[in-house]
Amino acid sequence: MFVTKIQISSFRNIAAAEIRFNRRFNVLHGANGQGKTSVLEAIYLLGTMKSFRLAKTPDLVTWNTPHALLRGWAERDGVGREIALYLGKEGRKARVDQKPVTRLADFFGNVNAVVFSPEEIAMARSGPDLRRRYLDRAIFSGDLGYLLLHHEYHRLLKQRNALLKRGSREGLDIWTNQLAEAGTRLMVKRMGYLAEIEPLVRRFYREIAGGEEEAGLAFRPHLTAPDQVAREGTDALLALFGAHEAEELRRGTTVVGPHRDDVDFVLNGRVIRTHGSQGQQRSFVLALKMAEIEYLERLNGAPPVLLLDDISSELDPQRNANLMAFLREKRMQVFITTTDVSTLRLEGIATHASFHVSRGTVTPS
Amino acid sequence: MLQSSNSFARLLAELQKLPGVGEKTALRLAFHLLKYPENTAALAESLGEVLSRVKFCSICFGITEEDPCRLCSSDRDETSLCVVEEPQDLLAVERTRAFRGRYHVLQGALSPLNGVTPDRLRIAELMRRLEGGAVREVVIATNFSVEGETTALYLARQIKPLGIRVTRLAHGIPLGSDLEYVDAATVQRALEGRSEL
Repeated sequence: MFVTKIQISSFRNIAAAEIRFNRRFNVLHGANGQGKTSVLEAIYLLGTMKSFRLAKTPDLVTWNTPHALLRGWAERDGVGREIALYLGKEGRKARVDQKPVTRLADFFGNVNAVVFSPEEIAMARSGPDLRRRYLDRAIFSGDLGYLLLHHEYHRLLKQRNALLKRGSREGLDIWTNQLAEAGTRLMVKRMGYLAEIEPLVRRFYREIAGGEEEAGLAFRPHLTAPDQVAREGTDALLALFGAHEAEELRRGTTVVGPHRDDVDFVLNGRVIRTHGSQGQQRSFVLALKMAEIEYLERLNGAPPVLLLDDISSELDPQRNANLMAFLREKRMQVFITTTDVSTLRLEGIATHASFHVSRGTVTPS
Repeated sequence: MLQSSNSFARLLAELQKLPGVGEKTALRLAFHLLKYPENTAALAESLGEVLSRVKFCSICFGITEEDPCRLCSSDRDETSLCVVEEPQDLLAVERTRAFRGRYHVLQGALSPLNGVTPDRLRIAELMRRLEGGAVREVVIATNFSVEGETTALYLARQIKPLGIRVTRLAHGIPLGSDLEYVDAATVQRALEGRSEL
């Protein structure tokens, strides 16, 4: 999968830009705050309609302009696609090959993108939210049914919370049942995905960090255990909700359940959030991303595009070199932002394009 | 011009309350109404007529002009009762001509977010009908949304203790559709709910 060209207008601090990309490596360099990451963000939006910076539409549109417009030309299995995304007051509207797309499910898959950025590294040391959000996003980039299930679970959660807020038991057990059922399906899918990528993470962690440390992913369903979910199915969640019903009625919200699940990043049996060095945390997230790339490649027959945001500053020279070795080997398109081109180990990479980004203007260099 | 015309502004405001009608559509409709006064008079008359004549059937809560409605006073099968959310859902089932029993309209689906709890639906009336003893099967035809599914489960739980059979419409791939054009999520659900041949 490749993004061959992108047109950006009134997006963040980029008034207008048209960029033709190289099919292998694309380096965007320039000082901070000039718009490098916005280019990556534009590519990501064309794949998912969402920002990896978790921004709302008004933040994405250039100040004092009515709307932003992104257009991308992507190629997959030799087939070109034109994807357009309008971001404005009426929300986000997408077209694929000039035809309007109404369902998110129809939009996904035209551009699969994996991001690796300093913000992503934060998930190795933060609370559960970032890790859970990452997990969900990783799963539905390969499984559209998961997106539907995720929506369903959160709709049920909202409904049940509304009922709890009224302090009403009338019909509560039915909403609880429904929530437990959707929640269990959600947990089962999460476990399935983690089981699939764990061996890949283990392998890539060794490749990046060297040494014999064994990386693992331990699913931590909120207040229950994976084997309990596997054994008891919906009953595990039902018991959990049952035990907290009085508290939930008092607090007027659902306090337990998969919306609070977590996954531990583990090295030799120790959780790196609390026991890992910064270097271990960075390597782990990088290994996780490589595993995601490998997983998507197996699933789709082609690797996704990789967006590396300001990453050389995060990795030491050895890890940087290991990352570059991985990228050289994978036939995938890569977009890298950096403030300092000299930190990139581009030797041995014959085909690349580089662009200078300054005050929202992108010029080939 | 518009600001000075009070009745016109009111018309716009009233039109905008309709589902799917925004500012621009309301303007278009209002000018259209002014342009064709005869049609507008007929529309006004019909609106008044609907208001005064159409009401909810006291048995099934579908819309009707005479109470009880034609369906409820007919000699249709009394042992089978189809439960739907809205009167238009009743029409959708009825159009199939595949169902020969009677109906019950809930007038909504459970949704705590919108303040819809069981007492706001025609559930008590449904239970009274079932206590009559004639009904042997209840076909639940609520929507396949989170709210519709939950309502169906709620009803099943209320009805089953009465010893009445409770069934639910099947869902999955739309009839006559090519599998390749059905979205992946629907196919996935249909696969999960597959049945033995």
